[in-house]
Amino acid sequence: MSSESLLYAAATVLGAVGMWLLLPRPGERLRWGGAAMSVVALGLILSQISPLGDMLSQSMFVVLGSVTVIAAAAAVTFRNPVYCAIWFAMMLLGTAGLFLLQGAHFLGVATIVVYAGAILVTLLFVLMLANPRGNAPYDRLSWEGPLSATAGIVLVGMLTMTLSSVLKSPTLADDLPSALLTAQAVGSGNSDTEQAAARNGGQDILSEHHSASLGGRMFSAHLVSIEVAGVLLFAALVGAVAIIAHSRSVRSDKQTLAGKQAMQTPSTNGRAGA
Amino acid sequence: MNEVSLLHGFLTIGALLFGIGLIGFLSRRNMIVMFLAVEMMIQGVSVSFVAWGRYHNNWDGQVMVIVMLAVAACEAAIAMALILMVFERSGKLDIAVHQRYREDNQPEYVDRDLPPPEDKAQVWPNLTPAGVEPEHDPEETAYRSHV
Amino acid sequence: MFELTTWMVLIPALPLAAALLTAALGPRLLKNKSHLPAVLCIAASFVCASILLWQVYQQTDDDGVPGGSSRVEKRLDLWTWAAVPAAMTHSGDSATDATTAEDSSFDFVIDVTLRTDPLSAIMLVMVTFVATLVAVYSIGYMNDDPGYWRFFTYVSLFVFSMTMLVSVSNFALLYVFWEAVGVCSYLLIGFWYQKPEASAAGMKAFLVNRVGDFGFALGVFLIWTTLGTLNFHDTEVDGVITQPGVFGQQVLSDGDYSSFPLATAGVLTAICLLLFVGACGKSAQWPLHVWLPDAMEGPTPVSALIHAATMVTAGVYMVARCTPLFVASGAAPIVVACIGCLTAIMAGFIAITQTDLKRILAYSTVSQLGFMFLALGTASLAGVVAGMFHLFTHAFFKACLFLGAGSVMHAMGGVIDIRRFGGLRKLMPVTHATFLLGCLALAGVIPFAGFWSKDAVLAAVHDAAHGDPSTNALFTTLYWLAWAAALCTAFYTFRAFFQTFYGEEEIPEEAGHHAHESPSTMTIPLMLLGFLALAAGALGPWFSNFLAHTPSLSMERLRGAEHAGFHWDVAIIGTVISVVGIGAAAFMYLRSPGTVSALTDTMKAAWLYQLSYGKLFFDQLYSVFIIWPLKILAHIFYVLDMLLIDGLVNLCGWLPRVFGAVLRPMQIGLVQFYALAMVLGLLVLIGILLR
Repeated sequence: MSSESLLYAAATVLGAVGMWLLLPRPGERLRWGGAAMSVVALGLILSQISPLGDMLSQSMFVVLGSVTVIAAAAAVTFRNPVYCAIWFAMMLLGTAGLFLLQGAHFLGVATIVVYAGAILVTLLFVLMLANPRGNAPYDRLSWEGPLSATAGIVLVGMLTMTLSSVLKSPTLADDLPSALLTAQAVGSGNSDTEQAAARNGGQDILSEHHSASLGGRMFSAHLVSIEVAGVLLFAALVGAVAIIAHSRSVRSDKQTLAGKQAMQTPSTNGRAGA
Repeated sequence: MNEVSLLHGFLTIGALLFGIGLIGFLSRRNMIVMFLAVEMMIQGVSVSFVAWGRYHNNWDGQVMVIVMLAVAACEAAIAMALILMVFERSGKLDIAVHQRYREDNQPEYVDRDLPPPEDKAQVWPNLTPAGVEPEHDPEETAYRSHV
Repeated sequence: MFELTTWMVLIPALPLAAALLTAALGPRLLKNKSHLPAVLCIAASFVCASILLWQVYQQTDDDGVPGGSSRVEKRLDLWTWAAVPAAMTHSGDSATDATTAEDSSFDFVIDVTLRTDPLSAIMLVMVTFVATLVAVYSIGYMNDDPGYWRFFTYVSLFVFSMTMLVSVSNFALLYVFWEAVGVCSYLLIGFWYQKPEASAAGMKAFLVNRVGDFGFALGVFLIWTTLGTLNFHDTEVDGVITQPGVFGQQVLSDGDYSSFPLATAGVLTAICLLLFVGACGKSAQWPLHVWLPDAMEGPTPVSALIHAATMVTAGVYMVARCTPLFVASGAAPIVVACIGCLTAIMAGFIAITQTDLKRILAYSTVSQLGFMFLALGTASLAGVVAGMFHLFTHAFFKACLFLGAGSVMHAMGGVIDIRRFGGLRKLMPVTHATFLLGCLALAGVIPFAGFWSKDAVLAAVHDAAHGDPSTNALFTTLYWLAWAAALCTAFYTFRAFFQTFYGEEEIPEEAGHHAHESPSTMTIPLMLLGFLALAAGALGPWFSNFLAHTPSLSMERLRGAEHAGFHWDVAIIGTVISVVGIGAAAFMYLRSPGTVSALTDTMKAAWLYQLSYGKLFFDQLYSVFIIWPLKILAHIFYVLDMLLIDGLVNLCGWLPRVFGAVLRPMQIGLVQFYALAMVLGLLVLIGILLR
């Protein structure tokens, strides 16, 4: 067993135990211990990534990645769903930063707009419409915490170990796409992009006209996918309205029924409708 | 910049997001948190897509992420509607409400070791109704349980 | 239009049409007039058969020599029923065997071919005539029966099957209609299926016939493998015989089966014996005779038509048809003769003590069929002619007797036990007279039909006893045994007759106050049949002359035996024996009834009475030696089936249930547990893939 495998095994064990400790459960949770173990596991895993070569990018990556992962862990482990949602927004911001780091500017912005701006706000709306007061018991419990944590972290361990064993092999450089080889040879990816684009069939995801290129690509080669996505959005809109309308009508029926019952038997309160 | 390292790092982040989301989905009982965990898994996959797109210098990864955004939005709309409906019926956001699909003769699942009630009341952010305060329906507040 | 072939088609077609019509319209439209199609069509069929017989007779007339060499045969190919190319009949592994390889070139073809020759013409006339009379009789007898239309449907169907049986020119089709008449017999025996005895008797008849038919089927298979054809006639293409038939002209001119390389005497004997097993089943010969007495549970007209006159003679007809085969085999006819004689005397012995009028007649039928087989067993033209002649006359007087018994039964309110009625001659004069005619014919009193035919049979046996020295002794024994059987016949016939019609008038209470002579639809057929029982014997010389024109009976080897002339000694012995039998019966049952009980006691002491009364205990023997072992075996298989087969099957159902019961507690209905299980499985899968 190589030292690398040992490292991943240690990271897996640490991560699993840490996540289990973090997950809500009755009794003493040792959250700080769990958090420390998880952070150590994260550090172990990130330490296996070779340096990016560029200090600025390296530090950006480390900061953004750590923020994303820690926010993700917090989002699934906090007991209060509102905090979960807020940590989830934090994770989204981290992801958006990672997208920007990758040069996917449009996606970074779109993630923030759509996820953080739309989906998450909807979610918070629902949470607050639900209007829970106090701690619900089911928020302070989790199903099969150790087993779930182990399953998730073992999956991560297997994936990352495979990644490092594949991507750190010396022969991989031969398989690099030609455009990137060129970009590497020239230096940092942001310069000489025209040359690279010319050699790569007009595709260059790092070009200055990023959004224009993406849009052109999207509405030419992927037109059908986009149309399908549009139809799906429309269907979802109709579906959501239908569901809500249905539930409203059911509820109003129940309410009238409950009201009648309440009139007939004054002792019965409105809970009968639930 | 070391492109392979970049790919490695982003794929690692994607795997971590996916795994953590999986843990959340498997262990949490609040339906909204489960939904968040699923979105998190999607986000992990998105990160991986973008990383591969960058590595291959190809737009398709990003286009795919845009499609996934759209799907996630649809998912959110439907899921929120359903969750709301379930909540209105049961007064809970607990996924254990859905256990009628079990085998016949199986006992119903009930929580055995409930955590003790929190001593301090949790402070919840509340939406203040805008404009003129609407008439309150006493029935509506009466049949909802407190979560 | 009025060719021979027209009648050949019409004779079976009319009853078939009647059967279909009655079946279709009977229950709703015809109801009490259901007899109309059947009676009209069968009568028309009889007219056609008569014309056919006349036309065939005219063709035999040209040479005028008795037993002349002209062969009258007319065939009508209707269509090909089945044809299998030669390549398919043999799969090729027989190519190593030189002889079978040679035979493998035969095409297996079954043509639906009707034939007519003197033999089948006589059978057709006899069948349709008796059937017509029985149908007319049934109008009165079956009146008010709820299954009126069903009865006439079955009868029409039977007449169709029987006429086809005697018309076909092919063993495959012969087998088909052999089964068809069996089915009709089964349906008609069990006609009153609400009666447990009747349905049991139908089943018994069917099962016993199955044994015989199995042998028959094996015989047909053996014919195919040996001779390569199932056709009676030669297959000709442009006047050249491409395939000699079983009884084709080519075979008959040779006189033997030398043109078939596989047909050695041993194989031919096997064929004949297998065919004879079938004949034993159908014609109720020992040891398969047990079904016929029980078959009397059916309506009496059916007993007269099927179980006395026509169907039971199918075996005799078939053996007569196969005469060339039997003659060529050498040993088989002796078996036929022995079985026939044994059956004749055995059935006669049993009939002496029976008390059921119809059973007596049934045993008498078995006995007379034995006489016919005895005659056929002499393997001479005289014997075959005598056997067929006896068949012919027997059909008339036995039908007459059965219909008379039915008339008595009708008047007595269904009672058939001869001890319970008596002295009916005043009450039923027509029945009495015709029954007497039938009895005299059966007993063989000169000049009744039975005398002449029985005389011909015994003359043929007499000739055989003085023919080939190697079988002399055997046939002499059979000859005297046959006389003993004839004595029994005369005695039991008149015992039944005297007990029924003489003595003190005695009417069972079932008859009520309406014990009377039967209606004219019943008495007119009786009178016609009674007349024929008296007069049919006169046809004897014409009959033998005519029958000799049948191709299969005109072969050279048969011709060696002279036509059995009128033997004075046979005639005298016959007369004496019948007179002795009748006299004994008259003495015991008319003069001094005391001797009956005395004799019965004596016989009881010697166990002879019990043997006879118990029908030689054949039913019991079969029960012990065949039915019980089979039942035990069936029970063993039942238990095996329950434990082993059902157990295995149940195990197949039980295992998944147990497995499911083990896994069922996992189905707790919480979504995330399923998801967790999926993820764990996925982890294992990914672990295997990434390894």
